[in-house]
Amino acid sequence: MALAPASPHPPDTATATATRPGKVARRPKPSSEPPEGNRERAKGRDRLWVAAFLVPFLVLYMGFTLWPLIATVYYSFFDWSGSGPLDNFVGGDNYSRILGDPLFWQAVVNTLLFAVGTTLIKLPLSLLAALVMTRKWLRAKRALRTVFFAPLIIPVAMAGLVFTYLLNPSNGALNSALHGLGLTDGTTDVFANRWTALLALVLISVWQVFGQYMIYWMAALQNVPDELYEAAELDGASEWQKLTRITLPLIRPVAVVIVMLALVNAMHVFGLVVTLTGGGPGTSTYVVSYFIYKQAFGSMPFAYGYASAAALLFSVMAFLLVTSQGLFVRRAQKMRKEYGV
Amino acid sequence: MSRPELRTPRAPRLSRLSRPARANLIALPLLIVVGLVWVYPFLWIVAGAFKTQTGLFTGGASLMPDQWNFDNFRRAWVDAGFSRYFFNTILYAVVSTVIELFKSALCGYILARYEFPGRKLLHRMIIATLFVPVASIIIPQFVLVERLGLLNTQAGVILAMSGAAGALYVLLFIGFFSGIPSDLFDAAKLDGAGFLRTFRLVLPLAKPVIAVVVIFQFITNWNEFNIPLVFTLGQPDLQNLAVGMLSFKGEHSVDWTGFAAGMTLSVIPMLIVFVFFQSYFVRGLAGATKE
Repeated sequence: MALAPASPHPPDTATATATRPGKVARRPKPSSEPPEGNRERAKGRDRLWVAAFLVPFLVLYMGFTLWPLIATVYYSFFDWSGSGPLDNFVGGDNYSRILGDPLFWQAVVNTLLFAVGTTLIKLPLSLLAALVMTRKWLRAKRALRTVFFAPLIIPVAMAGLVFTYLLNPSNGALNSALHGLGLTDGTTDVFANRWTALLALVLISVWQVFGQYMIYWMAALQNVPDELYEAAELDGASEWQKLTRITLPLIRPVAVVIVMLALVNAMHVFGLVVTLTGGGPGTSTYVVSYFIYKQAFGSMPFAYGYASAAALLFSVMAFLLVTSQGLFVRRAQKMRKEYGV
Repeated sequence: MSRPELRTPRAPRLSRLSRPARANLIALPLLIVVGLVWVYPFLWIVAGAFKTQTGLFTGGASLMPDQWNFDNFRRAWVDAGFSRYFFNTILYAVVSTVIELFKSALCGYILARYEFPGRKLLHRMIIATLFVPVASIIIPQFVLVERLGLLNTQAGVILAMSGAAGALYVLLFIGFFSGIPSDLFDAAKLDGAGFLRTFRLVLPLAKPVIAVVVIFQFITNWNEFNIPLVFTLGQPDLQNLAVGMLSFKGEHSVDWTGFAAGMTLSVIPMLIVFVFFQSYFVRGLAGATKE
């Protein structure tokens, strides 16, 4: 289970495992561990190879993930426009300004609404789709899978532009469809109102990433052993019972990870906002990444320090949102132990 | 298969015989309707690629082109710069996918197979950064690329794209390589295989994981918006499709049909990649997530 361990550990492994070299840190089940020999101690010339194999990842990881994380913290204490030396230390000034910036809070609220909204819609629907798509009896699976996966391959700006046209108030497809059905004869401009604009963002995002989550679920479903279903069948279990007693409990550990990926990916939302609403109407669909972009690169003078403070606050919030699931993860892992999957 | 006279709820055994057929009868039409809604924007784009501006403007939701010519394609490809965006996108996606694959396979292999000081710390740090939002670290990335003198170059975009991700892929590789029975490695050792030979021996086994990384990363890079936008602010020639499209919106009169034609052209390669790899895809993910 490579996806699941991502979640649980930051808080609790830090203390525990450093002294047990043969044990894989991520796995709570000693019984199913491969024998010790699976992990060799590097010696002699192998050491050079080990180092050489690690270098490409380490260099990029340090340069583009670790250092930026540290630098974001550092910049956030300065009033810095990106050019010139970093010498205008302002302490917590950026933070107190951010905390009093209504636009930032609006962006936070929008980001959370968007993240929770898309997750609540796309996960159950894609699970349902995956359940149907993994039925043995279903015909044309490949074609259907491709259909649902297809929106993912449209660059996000294209999706944005297509939908601005389809939804445009004068002659877009939505309006002509509404007229055709006789539902309205006026013009419906979904991007004129904060709530409809947010809803449009959510739905279009669901449309776009649906296939990805469907495939996550399909992968999760593949890991449920067939024997369990066969046994249940012998006991006369109904489809519904099989779903609620076998499938759902067994995919729960993976489900937790999928939920987290979904939330975090949704919190990244940027391209759709830029292309569909540009944060509008007014500033009412600002999301945090757009706020950061606008502060840092949007208009002179650039406010890197201020944007960094916003970025850091955002990271902390994302982290809290994600790790608040740690509890569920631990429970799910306990379940996994019980079921032996 | 169909035995209508027996298909009553009172005859469970016989109705089970026809159940697959019946289930298909219910599910397929439903899925097809939903699927049509799903691909409607695609169909609209393809239809728009053949329409005239006025045809598009008055057509509303219609998918029927009012003409069949290829001038839209020429305009999009040549005049609007789709060819440039297209080749940039391919370059960025291919190169950063290769880098991503290379670095995460090597690192995952080591973390799964070898013990070295700091291994656990590294593993934990990779996990900890899995969920860092890109937006929150893009400023220092920008500063780094600028200091390297690579701002507004293709190398800068590629570097940022392939540097920013990767944690998930390393974890997938670790999961895969630590699942390989150690007998295999022992046997390789007995046969006198050194470090590299052993690696070359087991790497092909990781094909499903490789397929997942390639598809994920290729799609992510293909659609990447934030990094190319920020790193090519001063050099529109280097934009990829995702960012290049944005300029369509800013102009006063938009060549919508040319735009539709350009999109049609640029979506095709990705569709091929997916159709080609899709069986690997699900299998690979399932394999990689298996304990």
